[in-house]
Amino acid sequence: MSTPPPELRELQRLFYGAISTKDADSIQQLQPQMRSTEHLSFERGLSAYQGSVVGKLSRALEDIYPVCCRLVGVQFFTAMARQYIRRHPSQSPDLGDYGEQLPAFIAQFEPAASLPYLPDVARLEWHWHRIFNSADQPGLDLTALGQVPPERWPELVLQLPDNAVLMTSPYPVHRIWQVNQADAASTETIDLNEGEVNLFLWRDQCETRIDLPNAAEWQLLQAFDSGAPFGEICVQLEHNADIDVTALLPLWVQRGWVTGFTLSRDESP
Amino acid sequence: MVAMTTIQGAGIGLRSQHYTHILTHQPTIPWLEALSDNYLGGGLPLYHLEQIRAQYPITLHGVSLSLGSADPLNMDYLTQLKQLADRIEPVHVSDHLAWVSVNGHYFNDLAPLPYTESVLHYVADRILQVQDFLGRRILIENLSPYLQFRHNSLTEWQFLAALLDEADCYLLLDINNVYVNATNHGFDPLDYLDVLPVDRIKEIHLAGYEEQDQFLFDTHGYPVQPRVWTLYQQALQRFGPVPTLIEWDTDIPSFDVLMAEAQQADTYLCQHHLQN
Repeated sequence: MSTPPPELRELQRLFYGAISTKDADSIQQLQPQMRSTEHLSFERGLSAYQGSVVGKLSRALEDIYPVCCRLVGVQFFTAMARQYIRRHPSQSPDLGDYGEQLPAFIAQFEPAASLPYLPDVARLEWHWHRIFNSADQPGLDLTALGQVPPERWPELVLQLPDNAVLMTSPYPVHRIWQVNQADAASTETIDLNEGEVNLFLWRDQCETRIDLPNAAEWQLLQAFDSGAPFGEICVQLEHNADIDVTALLPLWVQRGWVTGFTLSRDESP
Repeated sequence: MVAMTTIQGAGIGLRSQHYTHILTHQPTIPWLEALSDNYLGGGLPLYHLEQIRAQYPITLHGVSLSLGSADPLNMDYLTQLKQLADRIEPVHVSDHLAWVSVNGHYFNDLAPLPYTESVLHYVADRILQVQDFLGRRILIENLSPYLQFRHNSLTEWQFLAALLDEADCYLLLDINNVYVNATNHGFDPLDYLDVLPVDRIKEIHLAGYEEQDQFLFDTHGYPVQPRVWTLYQQALQRFGPVPTLIEWDTDIPSFDVLMAEAQQADTYLCQHHLQN
């Protein structure tokens, strides 16, 4: 393994501090290390980088959160993004990993308090972004499932797709999201008080989807999501006449909502 | 998918805004350059890229190898890059003479290096490691730094020429960056081009800069500027008809605008052929 020249890490630490966090000490220590030219003074060069770094992260947030940006306007969004960027340095080479904490940040961001649904819209956008960019899900291995003897079916832990998300909001965020798409020409008015929504976000092959499961489906999705074995789930839902597990299960396998399984006893020591 | 080992003519940087246009109209372009970082996670972006790869040769261009960083090479990133390259079979894989991370924090922007002998050996060694890992030679691209280190003992062009030799890698020569640097830092761009080894230059990039208060800013958000076209022609005289790519990263225009820029580059490439 090659070792970096001793001065390199220190110079890079100062450079990073002066540009990303605009730390005054770093700027002061970096300045004598840098050369100014007729067209490009130290201050101008520094500010070019500072602007570029914030601009890149801010654009990454705009790309991931276009609906939030549209709801509050670009100016507001950019100002909010700048504050977020100051508090959350990027930890990944991939800009697509940047911005996961924005929904929580918005929830605490005083100037956005008049839009109480905004953090949930942001959550929806983050999930959408991650699902869109996630790896393909393999289908359920029916041959392997067929080899599980019937007496062990109660131990089956059926798995939802790795990239699927169950999301609940007190606001109709899916409709807010829909009518605020860049290509939407809707002038529809949305009643914020129409009640809580349960959303299932997943990807059907190449299509990222937001589905609205009915109450029975939602309960079963939650049960699968909890990782409980099939036998336990059946006992839980026994008295719920609305849920016909044996009818739903093959449908979900076909649809791609159940993509894997384990046997619960295999996992215990 | 046709295996491709060489490219020629003027290609275009692939941007997601143009997937549909490309797949629907199948425009006549010799090749497209995909930004590797956008496809490492798989998913729908990779699905689109594979559809396009079925019809066009692809080069892969990345920003996150952080070749000059004091941090160890990011092996997760490198592994993902290798998986992508194995799947896409690009003509070239390239990144920059830069660092983008230190102490695990990412800049997500390309920062310049001090040009000294010790940094040269360090970076050359890292490029060799990357090439070993990927099982292929990579292209490295010159930056347009807005700050320069005082204790540089080599010029950027001396550093680059020595690095290409020591790391046994190729050069992706960004003509716009050479012009921007020459203006910002006050040197003759032809001095830069003159020391570069002809046989190591495998690709040229062209993009548009923006004029800011007293200096040039490399935004990749404008058409190629007239003076960059002139320098490009001078480069072709020195290096021959090197495959050339039009890059556009901010305020991305319609595909036709990019096609017109690529056709302009192609005209110069053909003129060069005729003259020689």
